[in-house]
Amino acid sequence: METPLLSCTGLERSFGDLKAVAGVSFEIGEGETYGLLGPNGAGKTTSISIVAGLLAADAGEVTVAGERMHPRATATKRHVGLVPQELAIYPDLTARENLDFFARLYGLDKARRATRVDEILEVIGLTDRATDRASEYSGGMKRRLNIGIGMLHQPRLLILDEPTVGVDPQSRNAILESVENLTTDGISVLYTTHYMEEAERLCDRIGIIDEGLLAAEGTRRELVATIGEQDLVRLHVEGDASAAAEACAKVDGVSSADAEDDTIICLMEHAGGRLPALLQAVNDVDASVSGVEVREPDLEDVFLHLTGKALRD
Amino acid sequence: MIRSALVILRKDLLLRLRDRSVWLFAFVVPLALAFGFSLVLPDPEDFELRAGVVDLDGGEVALGFTDELLPSLVEDGFITVRSYRDEETARVAIEADEVAVAWVLPAGLTDGIVAGAGGRIQLLANPDHQLSSAVARGIAERFAAQIDRAALAIGTGQTHTQGALEPEQVERITATALDATGLVGIDELVAEHQQLSEPSYLAAGMAIFFLFFTVSFGVNGFLAERQEGTLPRLLVAPLRPVAVHIAKAMGAFVMGVVSMAVLAIASDLLLDAAWGPAGGVAVLIVSAVVAALGVMVLVASFARTAEQSGNLLAITAMILGLSGGVFFPVGTGVLGTLALASPHGWFLRGLGDLAGSGSFTATLPAAGVLVAFGVIAAIPGAIRIERWAHA
Repeated sequence: METPLLSCTGLERSFGDLKAVAGVSFEIGEGETYGLLGPNGAGKTTSISIVAGLLAADAGEVTVAGERMHPRATATKRHVGLVPQELAIYPDLTARENLDFFARLYGLDKARRATRVDEILEVIGLTDRATDRASEYSGGMKRRLNIGIGMLHQPRLLILDEPTVGVDPQSRNAILESVENLTTDGISVLYTTHYMEEAERLCDRIGIIDEGLLAAEGTRRELVATIGEQDLVRLHVEGDASAAAEACAKVDGVSSADAEDDTIICLMEHAGGRLPALLQAVNDVDASVSGVEVREPDLEDVFLHLTGKALRD
Repeated sequence: MIRSALVILRKDLLLRLRDRSVWLFAFVVPLALAFGFSLVLPDPEDFELRAGVVDLDGGEVALGFTDELLPSLVEDGFITVRSYRDEETARVAIEADEVAVAWVLPAGLTDGIVAGAGGRIQLLANPDHQLSSAVARGIAERFAAQIDRAALAIGTGQTHTQGALEPEQVERITATALDATGLVGIDELVAEHQQLSEPSYLAAGMAIFFLFFTVSFGVNGFLAERQEGTLPRLLVAPLRPVAVHIAKAMGAFVMGVVSMAVLAIASDLLLDAAWGPAGGVAVLIVSAVVAALGVMVLVASFARTAEQSGNLLAITAMILGLSGGVFFPVGTGVLGTLALASPHGWFLRGLGDLAGSGSFTATLPAAGVLVAFGVIAAIPGAIRIERWAHA
């Protein structure tokens, strides 16, 4: 990567005895979309709060466009736009008034303010409802306005904190499309999510974060490759799934076998040739297999492999 | 920083204008309550002193009081007088609320003055009619003072003033005293003892009472931004975090001053309840808003949510309002002392001082105390909020 737009080095932040972020480092290049993928409580929101200058780090450093970011770095903050996880709009103001207020706050002059407000209203599809109060909008429209405010001042880095949480499928797709369009404008995006599909669809690179630490990062292909040339086998069993998983783990070529309810998830090389041995191992502990599924692993499996737990835990 | 604060202030004022509850607390309810109270309380222009008099003396001085002074006041239309034969009859009349007060001119009053030993006019009063009591006491005191001055003037003009005065001297004393009866003005006495008229007191009381609620909307704004999720968005904008606090304080201040000014003008126009000369009233309004702002910032610093803060602020506004005597004049007793522990009490006292003296400078002690209230409360409050906001 050439000179990165965002550089985070050794970020740490505690809240009392809780170490929310314990040494996170990553970089984002110009026009790149970087995903922070992790379950709730992994440290995603704390990390991006530090990146956005909302929180001070206990240790480590953030630079945006070569300038150091901290809560009082007003000049550096101009490079960054934030779309918080919760709706951050004023319901008693119209969409136009909401946008106009934040445009003023970012110091846009009158002419540019008028132009940008109109442009954003067009982008988020609220031109026709621009003079209605936000309280009268649907959930999806509010979400779009929430994102529009973040893009308003044309930041070089846009941070989106789980923007699709609690959104209906139609609005979710519209949001993902609008994020995809951002990078064509050259904006760098830092996107946090615990939805594997979103990370796979949007992000050029992904950082997997858990318990305040970045467990791995890379492109989807690179991350999946960390598992090796392995297949993922799901066995639906009747009987003692835990005992069956232990038996499966001893089969030659199996690198991991975990039981989840009545399912055993195995990572193994050359699943096709070793499947009979796997079924025999289940049989040997007086359990039986009612279904088998073999597929290539995805990010969810990578997360499971790296952390030993599912993304939605 | 100030530019950012003004942008936030502009947005906050727009939101406040659209918030009906602010209109209700800032303007509608205080005026309505003041109007309601004014309907059930007497207008000062309707004030009438229902008095009795018991003349047990029958001498020159007593006659001067009963036949010269009192009739002149009756002619002015502020007073009605009934005569009673003795003190007991007068007491019964007071208990029956025939009269509010009664003067008892004791036997030997004139002789005492003639002998140079002085005299004493006794006042019987119904405790429910404090204003009437104060005015009646004032009439008696001013009459006595005139008698004393006249006696002194004549006494010092004598070459031999030992012992009793001559009869012609007594006549001259009484005549001199009665020449000065114009000095006993009922309206002046009413003003002196009541200072603010009932409607003015109530309108001002309601205004300062609801001022604390109005200011609390602004003070609560920081927590409301956090609760609505907009605070992070403000804090990632290119502004110093303190600009948000400044904007909220400015919003509360503007709303407070505007609501008080509108209520002062509206209560004058609609309720005939003038607060006093504009300059002094303005000083007191600004000082009261500073006090309200400081106290409410301190109280809000103990809350963690907008709802918690709203409850604490409402309780504080209620307690301070009640102890400050906003619903009724508290006088000078225990309640009067208690009222001075509240900004409300000092504001009303300041208006009273202004009405009593008519001088702008009369407001300065109360204004000073109000500003001190605000500053002393605001400093620890602001420190607490700042620490908590960045925790």
